Amino acid sequence: MSLKPRQVDFNATWGAIRDTIRGVITLDHVPRTTWNDRFSDVYSLCVAHPEPLADKLYAETKKYLIDHVAQLLRKVQEDGDQNLVKNYFHYWSQYSVGSEYLHSLYLYLNQQHIKVQKMSDAEIIYGIVDPSCTSQGDQMEIGELALQVWQSNMIYPLGQRLVTLLLEAIDLDRAGQPPTIPLDAVRGTILSFVEVQVYKKKSQLQLYVELFEGRFLNASGEHFKRDAALLLQERDVSLYMERVKAKIEEELYRARKFLHASSLQKVAHRCEQHMVAEHLQFLYSECQNMVKYEKKKDLSNMYDLLKSVPNALIVLVDTVFDHIKNQGLSAIHNLQGDSVHINFVENLLTVYEKYKELIKEVFKSDQNFMGALDKACNSVINHRPNEGRSPCRSPELLAKYCDTLLKKSSKGISESEVDEKLTKSIIIFKYIDDKDVFQKFYSRSLAKRLIHQQTQSMDAEEAMINRLKQACGYEFTSKLHRMFTDMSVSSDLNNKFQEFTKQEDIDLGINFGIYVLQAGAWPLGQAVVTPFALPQQLEKSVQMFETFYHNRFNGRKLTWLHHLCQAELKLGYLRKTYVVTVQTFQMAILLLFEKSDSLSCKEIRETLQLNSEQFKRHAISLVESKLLLSDTEELDENETNLRLNLDYSNKRTKFRITAAIQKETPHEVEQTINSVEEDRKMYLQAAIVRIMKSRKVLKHNLLIQEVYAQSKVSFVPSIQLIKKCIESLIDKQYIERTPYSSEEYSYVA
Amino acid sequence: MKVTIKQWTGVASWKWVANDDNCGICRMPFDGCCPDCKLPGDDCPLVWGQCSHCFHMHCIVKWLQSQPVNQQCPMCRQEWKFNNK
Repeated sequence: MSLKPRQVDFNATWGAIRDTIRGVITLDHVPRTTWNDRFSDVYSLCVAHPEPLADKLYAETKKYLIDHVAQLLRKVQEDGDQNLVKNYFHYWSQYSVGSEYLHSLYLYLNQQHIKVQKMSDAEIIYGIVDPSCTSQGDQMEIGELALQVWQSNMIYPLGQRLVTLLLEAIDLDRAGQPPTIPLDAVRGTILSFVEVQVYKKKSQLQLYVELFEGRFLNASGEHFKRDAALLLQERDVSLYMERVKAKIEEELYRARKFLHASSLQKVAHRCEQHMVAEHLQFLYSECQNMVKYEKKKDLSNMYDLLKSVPNALIVLVDTVFDHIKNQGLSAIHNLQGDSVHINFVENLLTVYEKYKELIKEVFKSDQNFMGALDKACNSVINHRPNEGRSPCRSPELLAKYCDTLLKKSSKGISESEVDEKLTKSIIIFKYIDDKDVFQKFYSRSLAKRLIHQQTQSMDAEEAMINRLKQACGYEFTSKLHRMFTDMSVSSDLNNKFQEFTKQEDIDLGINFGIYVLQAGAWPLGQAVVTPFALPQQLEKSVQMFETFYHNRFNGRKLTWLHHLCQAELKLGYLRKTYVVTVQTFQMAILLLFEKSDSLSCKEIRETLQLNSEQFKRHAISLVESKLLLSDTEELDENETNLRLNLDYSNKRTKFRITAAIQKETPHEVEQTINSVEEDRKMYLQAAIVRIMKSRKVLKHNLLIQEVYAQSKVSFVPSIQLIKKCIESLIDKQYIERTPYSSEEYSYVA
Repeated sequence: MKVTIKQWTGVASWKWVANDDNCGICRMPFDGCCPDCKLPGDDCPLVWGQCSHCFHMHCIVKWLQSQPVNQQCPMCRQEWKFNNK
C-alpha cells in the first residue's frame, strides 16, 4: 500500500479499527494480517486527505475505552463484595496488558500526532507549566489514555470499597488466618494503584498514597497500639522487646509481600512509634537492671528498638555511662600494698576493654556509647577522692607503672609483652587531665633509670617517648629527648676521656665513667648539692676529668652531683667476695672502715662533712642491708657506734643496696606536685602573653577561652588560676585593662 | 684492702658561666637558646670574644654576616675576635 496521504472514509475505517481494538483490549486472538492492516489504517487516518482525522480517531477511541471500562465495572461488581477484589484484579490484569498492546497499535498516532503537543521532560521537571492541568485537557498517548480512563471510571467509583476489602485481607493475614482473597490478587490490586499512574512524570505514587497507604497506615497504627497494649500486660520488658522486634520484622516482611517498596520505611516507623516511642517509660523501667547485670541480649534489643526513635537513646546512654563509671571507680577503690600502681592501671584497662568490647558487640560501636565510655573513663581517671579534696593520683600511678615496666627488675615479662603493656598504658594516658603532672613524674623516673643504669632497653624507652609524643606533641617530650641526647653525648665523652688518659699515660686507679648532664634538662631538684669530702681514691679521677672537660668546653661550669653517683665495690673482708653496687655516700662510709672495724657516727660524719639528713639516710640503709651493725636501736648521730658486720653473708655474690635510697619519698612526691603548680603559672602566663601579642585587644571571656584551648593539651587549668596569671601580668605591665571596660585587656608593647 | 672500688660512675651537671644572664643580641637567657633553635645546650652553644663579651654562637655569626666591613662586637664596638683559650 502507498504511504501517500489519501482520502479515507472515517466511519468505515473506524468500524474496522473498533473491532480489532475489542480483540486487543480483551487479549483475544488477533491475526497478524489484521493487526498490520489496522496499524496502517491508523496511519492513513492520521495523514488523511484533505484533512487529517487524527483528532476524530482519538475522540472515538476515548469514547470506546470509556464504554469498555464502564462495562468492566459492571462485571467486576456482579459477584458482590466477596469477589470484588478478585474480579477487579482479573480484569485489571487483562486491561493493563491489553492497553499496552493498544498503545503499540496506535504507535503512529502517539509519536507523530501527540508527542508534538506534549512538553519535554525538562519542562515538566522544572515546572514551567503545571503538568497535571495540561495533561488533563490535552490529548494523551493511547496507553496513558487507557490507564487514565481506568483510573477515573473504575478506581474512583470503586476505590474505597476495594481498600476496605484489602485491609480486611491484610488483617486476616496478620491474624494468621487463611486468606479469603488470593494473595496475588491483593498485591496486584494494591500495586494497580501505582501502575495506573506509570505515565505520570511526577508524583507517580500520589494515587497510591492518597487512596490506599494513608488508610493502611492508620489501620496498622491502630493494630500496633492494640498489640502493644496486649504485650504490655505481660509486664516483662525483655519479653516485650523480643516480641516487638519480631513484630517489626514480620510487618516488614508483610509490607514486602503486599505493598509498594516505598511503604516499608513508613510501616516500620509506624510500628516503632506505637510500640516503642509511646512506651519509652516502660522500656526505661528495666534499663537500670539490664545495664547493671549486663544482659547483652536485652541491651542489644533495647538498642535496636531505641536507635530509630529520636532522642530515645539518651537515657540508655546515661545509664551505661553511670554503670561504667561506677565499675571503674570500684576497680580502683581501696587499692593497697606495694603494687598499687600496677593494680590501678591494669584494673582500669580491664574495665575499659571490657566495656569497649561490650559496646562493640551490643551497641555496634555506636558513637553515643563510645562517647559515654570516653566520658566515664575520663571521670574515673580524673576522679579526686574525698569529694574532690585530695589530689588525683592517676598521673603519678601511671608514671610509676611505666617505670616498673621499663626498669631492669621487671623479670619474667618478655620484651613484646612490655611493649604491649606500654602501648595500652597510652589509653589511660589520653584520659588524664593533668598530663603535665604525669610528665613530671615520668621524667623523674626516667632520669633515675638513666643515671642509675637501670633501663631495660633503650629501644623500649624511645618507643615509649615516641608514643607520648604522638599523643601530646613535640613540646611535651622535648625535655625527655634532651635527656636522651645527654646520654649519648656522655658516652662519647667517656670514650674521648679514655683516649685522653691513655695518651697522657695517666692511671686513675679506678674504672671511671661519667654522665655529664645539662642542668636545665634534668629534673634533678633544686640545689641538692650537699657538702661532701670526696674519698681520696676518687680525687684523681675527678680532677683529671675536670681538666679534660674545661679544655674541651669553654665557659662551662661542672657541678658534681654525688648523690646520684654510684659505684661497684668489691668487699674483700668477708668469707666470700661480694660485688655490691652502692651510692657514693654509702661507698664513702664503707671506705672509712679500712683501718678500723668500728667507728662512731660522729667521726664518720665529720670526716665526710655530710649534712645530718644525708648521713642518716645512707647510714640507715647500710644498717638495714646488714653490712653494718649499729649498737643502738635508733640511729643517733652523736652516740651510735657502727661496726662492720664480719659475718655478713648473702646467697648472691653480686647485688645492689641502692634501692632503698632511690625510692621516691613522700616528700619528693609533694615537691613534684608543687613544682607542677609553678610550671603551670609560667605556662599560662606565656600563653596569655602570646595570645595578647597577636590579638592586641581582647575581651576577658575570649582570652580565658583561648588560654583554655591552648593549655588543654597538657593540663586543665582552673579559671581561678588563669585569672591570677592575668592579674600578675597586669602587675608586671605586660598587659593592661582598657580604659573603656574592665572586661577587656590590651597588650602593652 | 677491705673494700676496693671496681668502678665508679660519676654524675655531674654543667651550665654556662657567662658574665651576663641574657644574650646581648637576642635578649634570650643564656640558659635558653637563640630564637632559631628549639633546644638549649650543645645544639646552641655560647661563644666568647676577646673583648670578653659572650653571645649565642648563632646570634653573633648572624650579626657578623650582616656587617660587610668592620666586624665589631655589638656591645663594645671593638674588633670582634673569637676567643679560643
